[in-house]
Amino acid sequence: MAAKKAAPGSVKLSAVLDLNEASVLHGKLMSIRGSDVVIDASGVERLGVQCAQVLVAGHRAWAEDKKSFLVEKASDAFQKTMQLIGIDNGNLVAKEI
Amino acid sequence: MDMNEIKEIFFQECEEQLAELESGLLKLNDGDRDPETVNAVFRAVHSIKGGAGAFGLDDLVSFAHVFETTLDCVRSNKLEPTQDVLKVMLKSADVLADLVSASRDGGGIDESRSRALVKELEALAHGEMPSASAHEAPKPAPKAAPAPAPVAKAEPPKPTDESGFQPIPFTFDGFGDDEEPALEGSVYEITFKPRRELYSKGNEAALLLRDLSRLGDMSINCDMDALPALDKMDPEASYFGWKISLKTVKSEDDIRTVFEFAEWDCDLDVKLAEEAASDEELPMIPVPFDLGILDEPSTSEEEEKAVQSSADETVAAAVSAAETATSVAKAAGRASEKKESAAAAAAAAAQNNAAAAAAAAGQTIRVDLDRVDRLINLVGELVINQAMLSQSVVENDATGTSAVNMGLEELQQLTREIQDSVMAIRAQPVKPVFQRMSRIVREVADMVGKQIRLVTEGENTEVDKTVIDKIAEPLTHMIRNAVDHGIESPEKREAAGKDPEGTIKLSAKHRSGRILIELTDDGGGINRERVRQKAIDNDIIAADANLSDDEIDNLIFMAGFSTADKISDISGRGVGMDVVKRSIQALGGRISISSRPGLGSTFTMSLPLTLAVLDGMVVTVAGQTLVVPLTAIVETLQPEASAIHSFGASQRLISIRNSFCPLVDVGRVLNYRATQANPVEGVALLVESEGGGQRALMVDAIQGQRQVVIKSLEANYTHVPGIAAATILGDGRVALILDVDAVVAASRGQSMKPEMSLAATG
Repeated sequence: MAAKKAAPGSVKLSAVLDLNEASVLHGKLMSIRGSDVVIDASGVERLGVQCAQVLVAGHRAWAEDKKSFLVEKASDAFQKTMQLIGIDNGNLVAKEI
Repeated sequence: MDMNEIKEIFFQECEEQLAELESGLLKLNDGDRDPETVNAVFRAVHSIKGGAGAFGLDDLVSFAHVFETTLDCVRSNKLEPTQDVLKVMLKSADVLADLVSASRDGGGIDESRSRALVKELEALAHGEMPSASAHEAPKPAPKAAPAPAPVAKAEPPKPTDESGFQPIPFTFDGFGDDEEPALEGSVYEITFKPRRELYSKGNEAALLLRDLSRLGDMSINCDMDALPALDKMDPEASYFGWKISLKTVKSEDDIRTVFEFAEWDCDLDVKLAEEAASDEELPMIPVPFDLGILDEPSTSEEEEKAVQSSADETVAAAVSAAETATSVAKAAGRASEKKESAAAAAAAAAQNNAAAAAAAAGQTIRVDLDRVDRLINLVGELVINQAMLSQSVVENDATGTSAVNMGLEELQQLTREIQDSVMAIRAQPVKPVFQRMSRIVREVADMVGKQIRLVTEGENTEVDKTVIDKIAEPLTHMIRNAVDHGIESPEKREAAGKDPEGTIKLSAKHRSGRILIELTDDGGGINRERVRQKAIDNDIIAADANLSDDEIDNLIFMAGFSTADKISDISGRGVGMDVVKRSIQALGGRISISSRPGLGSTFTMSLPLTLAVLDGMVVTVAGQTLVVPLTAIVETLQPEASAIHSFGASQRLISIRNSFCPLVDVGRVLNYRATQANPVEGVALLVESEGGGQRALMVDAIQGQRQVVIKSLEANYTHVPGIAAATILGDGRVALILDVDAVVAASRGQSMKPEMSLAATG
């Protein structure tokens, strides 16, 4: 299991966020929609684009619901991959500089 | 599956790739300029490199890498694949094959040769490079074994908070190359939009972008417009695309190389940015950060990642192989095996993919040859047993209940089908053997300083595996002979008004149930005067022997005969053609030569398609039961006295539909009887012989038609002239199988020992 529930409204991302994990993460987010959420990205060692897609879509959905969607303690690998694929890992939108 | 087994699969895969490589290069050599051919060649080397990297076969990887780099130049049209270039490439393919076998079986290779070739290859890659693309040959870092980047020692960036990041300027100098960092560079605009398949095949866009970022300074803009709402999205689909601006000294092709295994699964556009347009309207994120985190082997996870990426590559290789319909199932199977050890996560996707690809290409499995042989033996016994059963039922139950007879008939049909299917398992195209010959031609031609082209034809002709295995050696010998003696030196050829480049043609075809292999050279042909003299000198024939041209030509098959003026390393050791002839005969085959002075010679080998069974006509000759191969028989007829014409002392002709055909009394030729039988009392079998002519074979009676299992006479007894093999009949008796061509050949002298009679004259 990837997205273990550490506390209500929080999601701990698993170490390897690859193709298989995308559906798991998607399901996880869908199930807690409507409440504030904190994403714990401290354990991420590998991040694939498809999981990033889910996270970005999640971020947008939460913004729509006017709830908070926070990514916390992003690991080095998480930050760097986000940066590599052109996503501001802080607010999960396309980074514009 | 343990590592050794996986490795063994890799080597088998290598063999296939090498064959692919060689046939591709030969096609190029023949003027084929299809980009797909170049791609296939490139992919073959690339796959070998990828696999070798995974097994840590460094020699193989480094040679394949240089080779691949040069091939890449051809692929990108920077290097024209001229004859000279292809000569080096073909030699490199040979060395690559040597390296593969050295890696498999241990043992060394000729290092000076491979070093020299590496130099030549590098020179080719350098020499033809347009000056615009920097002072160095393109050297894409080997992906299978990523070179530790100089970047690894760079200070990691300071941790940033999640509100953003501080760009840390970083320059990658040369990445793995020791040359001075090039200051100049071009800016490329790249649009990259992966499709769903890219991910489902185990590729990862993030890794491709990582590889891309290593080529230079990269700014990136992620296009998220296609991303639907969370509840509408498919988590495994692909929505993101990127616009990338890359400042690099590398060429466009180096950039495309990054995407090479994904190029079918994404929309990719690479173009050189206009200087003016460099201040883009699109906001870009510069990506100048420490990539060490993604591949630095600081933790075991990182190591795993490296393996993973090589496994990814292998999967991609398998996928690309599917495009050319090569053995995808095996490759993908191997890839997914390797993946197990790397990361189980992507394995499911890889296997799905493998299954899909395999369905397209037809599934294959590798089976130990021994098992097939055992099966064939058993089926052979089954056929004999079935025949015996039928016979005893017929003998013991004269009335013959129809149920039993019908059952027997069905059994016979089934046995027949089983046998055909089993035989089909062993049938293989002669292609691998022919390809080995092209290497021999290249090497020997090089040694003796001749220019020779090998043309092959009908290489997909199928024949039993045992025949293929055994044909290689005599064929090698003949090819060497043809190169060494057959084709003249370029000067001589030019003097004779011929193309200085000689041609040797190797062809295979099916003809009357046998495989016919012809080896034709356009050399000087047999020097009959010299052959004759040599035969006289060696006491093979008498000085006054009266021989036809054909007979003189065939003298070269006599033991201890060699006409080469000087004994060379290559041929001419006096153990030449007689050995060839004997090994062909041992296979149940025949060999003959026809030669035209000044125009060249043709060796014709006729071999059985299988060494296990044959359809035969069971006949009686002078009280003996013989089997005549059905494939040789054109028709059977009952001669009438008026159709028989005599001429000469003992020759007879039979008139069939207004044409005459020599009548051969089998009983007389085989010395079963002392006098000629009366043709009117027997049956004539009209047969087609190897030379194409027809003969009427006289037998006493026809017993029936039957499939018989061939049992070698040589292995169990000794060679009998005029007899090809033996078989066991339904009643348990042994019957001899007639060698039709030998009988026809012998009929000219009405005696069965042509070699002895020749020898006797000496």
